[in-house]
Amino acid sequence: METGRCNLIIGASGSGKTVLMKCMVGLLRPDLGEVYYNGADFTNMDATQKTQIRKEIGMLFQGSALFDSLNVEQNIMFPLNMFTQDSFAEKLKRVNAVLERVNLEGVNKKFPAELSGGMKKRVALARAVVLNPKYLFCDEPNSGLDPQTSLVIDKLIRELTIEYNITTVINTHDMNSVMEIGDYILYMYQGKKEWEGTRKDIIFSKNQLLNDFIFASDFLKDAKDMRMLEETGKIPNERNMDELTRP
Amino acid sequence: MHQCTEIGFGSLGIVAIISVFIGAVSTIQTAYQLVSPLIPVSTIAQIVRDTVILEFAPTLVCIVLAGVAGSRIASELGNMRVSEQIDALEIMGINTKTYLILPKIAAALLMIPLLVVIAMVLGIWGGRLAGTAAGIIPANLFDKGLTSDFTPYNVFFALTKSYAFAFIISSIPAFFGYHVRGGALEIGRASTKAVVVSCVLILFADYILSALLL
Repeated sequence: METGRCNLIIGASGSGKTVLMKCMVGLLRPDLGEVYYNGADFTNMDATQKTQIRKEIGMLFQGSALFDSLNVEQNIMFPLNMFTQDSFAEKLKRVNAVLERVNLEGVNKKFPAELSGGMKKRVALARAVVLNPKYLFCDEPNSGLDPQTSLVIDKLIRELTIEYNITTVINTHDMNSVMEIGDYILYMYQGKKEWEGTRKDIIFSKNQLLNDFIFASDFLKDAKDMRMLEETGKIPNERNMDELTRP
Repeated sequence: MHQCTEIGFGSLGIVAIISVFIGAVSTIQTAYQLVSPLIPVSTIAQIVRDTVILEFAPTLVCIVLAGVAGSRIASELGNMRVSEQIDALEIMGINTKTYLILPKIAAALLMIPLLVVIAMVLGIWGGRLAGTAAGIIPANLFDKGLTSDFTPYNVFFALTKSYAFAFIISSIPAFFGYHVRGGALEIGRASTKAVVVSCVLILFADYILSALLL
């Protein structure tokens, strides 16, 4: 997975995306293989060594995973309390800065139950990036969100990835997200890597399983139709590809 | 502190009500059974005192606490597991067993014996109140019976039981809640199972400790 880019893991429900992600972050131990962070074998580290790596990891869970008994400010401050020796004022300044970054000023004292789905995701994202992590993992960040809010979340993740030069790994089966922010895409099928490439490559892939998956989406139905016309030579292909793959 | 407040103050009301009524019922039923005129009326107070201290305060109150506090612990941890809050803590490098479960066990070990002591006092007072209100035993005779042949070891025994039960009430529900897999249905099942297993273990521990210490 490359730094400063959005690396997407796509696949149908039950293909193993979440299990793979949990293995990457150490929540599950893989039966075979290792996970490396900058060349260091994370899988076989002891608890102390893993803690050092985990300080550099931020994760956005599918259900946000905000702590119910803490308000927004306390949720975001939680990693700062755990891993820094900063004063309360410094921590609060950092919390307000990330809240502003995710466009959620003024909600410090609200509890998770008082927030909408999109707001919860943004608070969770703020908590994930408050320690300036090197690695950001997002497990289906658009799950349960309307298309407009999904777009907001996708753009926010992309901006933070570039701004903080993070290695971002996103699980999704939302093709809108793939075409919007996917720099590197890994397609999983029944627990295995079936295909990898960029969002431009994905349209022209010859992999039948991948094609069945991505062209099931209405968003790319037009792309499929245009591709068929290109292959039969009925329309020139360069202009259409630019239109389809433009972010 | 938060856990102490939840387990201690959160259960105080139900403990108080149960203790008072248990003491009252004990007095009335003991008086009903003591029909021989050869046995002094003050014996009722002795029996109520020893019954409340030895059994009702530690065992009965802790069985109720297994339902009140135990189900709360199992549900809270189960909900945290299902909503991935425990995973979020693990990602931050926190040992979730130490962070989530240990404070609950420590709070239980601190607060439940205190609740048992309160239950003893209120149980005996409830018995006195019921005895005098029903005309079964005058207050002065009750007080006389309370102080005669008092064995301090009984209080030590009761507190030993309460510490054992406190550990059971906090650790068993924490185990079931922490290892929930699934959704709301499984949280409910875990909570119910936690209470049932806790109650059975409390009764088992009650028997073992009684056999060993008495």
